[in-house]
Amino acid sequence: MNTKSKKRFTFTLCMLLIVSAIVGCSNSGNKAEPSNTANGNAAVGNEENPYKEKYDPPVTISTAWGVDPALTFREGETIENNVATKWALDTLGIKVDSLWSVTDTNGAFATKMRLAMSSGQKMPDIAVVNDKLLAQDLIDSGMFQDAGALFDKYAGEKWKAAMNLDPGVWNAYVNDGKRMGIPLLDYAYNSDYLLWIRQDWLDKLNLQAPKTIAELEAVMEAFKNNNPQGLAPDKVVPLSVGFKTSMNTWMGDPSWVFGAYGTLPSQWNLAADGTLEYGSTNAGIKQGLIKLKEWRDKGYIPQEAALWDENKTSEPAVAGTAGIIPGPYWMSGWPLLDTAKNVEGAVWKPYAIPTGEDGTAMRHGTHFVNGVILINKDMKNPEAFFTYENYLFENLADPQEGSPFELGAFEGYDYALDASGNPLYLDDVPGGAITAPLRYFIVRDGARIPDAQFKALLNLAEGKEATTYREKEVIAQYGPETALAATVVMQQEDISKKDMFVGPSTKTMKSRMDYLKKIEAQTFNEIIYGAKPAEAFDEFVKSWKSSGGDDITKEVNEWYSNVAK
Amino acid sequence: MPQQQTLQPDDTSGTVVKLKGKPLFYYLIKQWPFHLMVLPSLVFLIIFAYLPMGGLVMAFQDYKPWLGLTGSEWVGFDQFRYLFEREDSLQVIWNTLIIAIFKMVLNLFAPFVFAILLNEIRKQLVKRFVQTLVYLPHFLSWVILGGILTDLLSTEGGLVNRLLTGVFGIQPIFFLGNGDWFRFTVILSDVWKEFGFGTVVFLAALANVNPSLYEAAEVDGASRWKQTLHITVPSMIPIAIVVGTLALGNVLNAGFDQIFNLYNSLVYAKGDIIDTFVYRTAILNGEMGFGTAIGLFKSVISFILVVISYRLAYKLANYRIF
Repeated sequence: MNTKSKKRFTFTLCMLLIVSAIVGCSNSGNKAEPSNTANGNAAVGNEENPYKEKYDPPVTISTAWGVDPALTFREGETIENNVATKWALDTLGIKVDSLWSVTDTNGAFATKMRLAMSSGQKMPDIAVVNDKLLAQDLIDSGMFQDAGALFDKYAGEKWKAAMNLDPGVWNAYVNDGKRMGIPLLDYAYNSDYLLWIRQDWLDKLNLQAPKTIAELEAVMEAFKNNNPQGLAPDKVVPLSVGFKTSMNTWMGDPSWVFGAYGTLPSQWNLAADGTLEYGSTNAGIKQGLIKLKEWRDKGYIPQEAALWDENKTSEPAVAGTAGIIPGPYWMSGWPLLDTAKNVEGAVWKPYAIPTGEDGTAMRHGTHFVNGVILINKDMKNPEAFFTYENYLFENLADPQEGSPFELGAFEGYDYALDASGNPLYLDDVPGGAITAPLRYFIVRDGARIPDAQFKALLNLAEGKEATTYREKEVIAQYGPETALAATVVMQQEDISKKDMFVGPSTKTMKSRMDYLKKIEAQTFNEIIYGAKPAEAFDEFVKSWKSSGGDDITKEVNEWYSNVAK
Repeated sequence: MPQQQTLQPDDTSGTVVKLKGKPLFYYLIKQWPFHLMVLPSLVFLIIFAYLPMGGLVMAFQDYKPWLGLTGSEWVGFDQFRYLFEREDSLQVIWNTLIIAIFKMVLNLFAPFVFAILLNEIRKQLVKRFVQTLVYLPHFLSWVILGGILTDLLSTEGGLVNRLLTGVFGIQPIFFLGNGDWFRFTVILSDVWKEFGFGTVVFLAALANVNPSLYEAAEVDGASRWKQTLHITVPSMIPIAIVVGTLALGNVLNAGFDQIFNLYNSLVYAKGDIIDTFVYRTAILNGEMGFGTAIGLFKSVISFILVVISYRLAYKLANYRIF
């Protein structure tokens, strides 16, 4: 190549670059045009229902992603472009446009969202948020619209039915009487608890499962001083509970002890007069504290319960030195499955929460809301989002025979088909299964009907053959004991009390709640540890009320009377 | 040496007069390669240390992310008032001071003594081995150590309590559940974790002591102890002052990650410190204005203390850091 042709070559290359740049620009210009005309069409056809089963030409929904770090992808796919986005475009004519995505560790999604909000960046059409504070900030920012009205207009039957299981789910997102966000439904009863008891210990001691607190004490006494596993009394934890995080938690939860005296601590309960009352200031707490102190003195509960968090309470249970642990129905899978590995013949069975002398019992309930879906004020086709989600509720939430999701979410991802058309799961899927392709949908986990999983469990408990996808799934994931536990949870459905206050923090709460929680935890633990007499509880109630508690109660009831209408 | 003076004109007062005659950017232009080398760190400092200071206005606002720094409502000193109006705020500040001051003093004293002792070891291998061994804990995080300590100090079969009952016949001590013992545990475990790392600085100072001083002392018939007292300790005082002065800036930092991983509601009265308090009120509740206000408060106090200690160090020990 001589210099002349070299120069020519460079020149051509430059021209090519320039031309392609121009073409690229004009291309993006062209792109904008059709969407404009589509808007025009929508405006013209305003009288007819804009809601469609499938959109042609496709419409766009923009969103932003907080990607679970554990989520895996097939080669070449990302959260922006994967089997679920292709599916949405092919099946529904909906193009999912990702504004940004971030690996959601240490609350990165919330941070990025806040930054986007304060720097005035474009907000996504659909924001799925499970951080309560962020959700409230976004709602307060005024950038999102009345989602409740859209929901009433466009949501399908199945979705509406799921939402109606508890009309209270909207309460957290009501602002000035408007439902500003659509609650993201999750499975019900996930943190309702029961007592897991070592059945092999009961059998060897010839004891019945305790039905009342008094019977429970007899069982704990026998577990401790007459241990069937031959453990020395100081090595046994008859009842594994912990107070470190709260008196109202999930695993090793002590709140039912107070429930036997008619109240649940650290949550807002419905009082007899129809108002909301903070459970920790109810007189029943005092008796519960006296009982817990007695149990600690007798060595029924861990000596260091005040230092134990949830996971710590499961340690003696798994090691085989604990006799009873309160916890959710799914504990049979994790962590209690491992007990049998440590102690041969160890069997955990689920039992109902014991009642007090007068038959009272309470446990804390589970809100089946796991976040909120916010719809941007400026979203051009909000109905398209409902097309998307209605389809998932119809077909994916509880797939029956013949549903496109009958065998799983996507072939080649969470399941595969063998030569004769039978489904393969997990490691049998070529290239290994993607365990959670449901996370590829705009709304986390696609669509969940709160009672679907529990219904499946109850069906199985009755001895029904697993037929639907959901039933097969719970069998594969949890095992038979879980179905039994589900029935125990359901037997006591009426004692399950949810925290009635789900609204945004009130004004006084923001400034006073931490101090009130601090004196609450301090007083309760000091009474249980004998550092203060039980009378200290009355003083606590007095200072709780005068240090802002009365104002908070007033504000909470104002909120409640607004949403309860 | 007059020649040297002309080579480094900035060093002498005589040339300062000369400087006045020059235009402002004379040296900037003349010595531009040096200034260019300083530039990256200057930019770094401006971006990461000075610009964020603008955020301090949050301390005087009811900050809302969507309204931003310019749009949020001004509340004056409300955030500060709230800090001091809380019933337990004095207690929390007091806890912080006690824990931080004990940690500061012991973390200065322990490495000081340990460095002298370590320096007396003749065998280099033993010396290096011990030195590495004691500074290893510095690299462990409190999240891990918190779990280990909780197990070690447990009243039910914890190693320490078994030792106390078995060997000394003492009743088990609830280290993490009793306020006074909690402070003791927090301070001691922090010193255990950090003193090895602090020793490194003092060992470096010891290596710089002029050996001829020791030789002279030996000729004069000074014992090992006298040598330590009159040569080693005085020559370590300046570096101890530097370390102490720098540490004083941390007087309101009692160690968030340590306390957060060890405390529980039984020891709130004696173990709750400013940082855990801020974590609960400001971070968990998203009250950024309040968090900033406390940060500003801590910085101002630390700044005052650093200035005072710097002045004192100059006056008493005739030592200047800067």
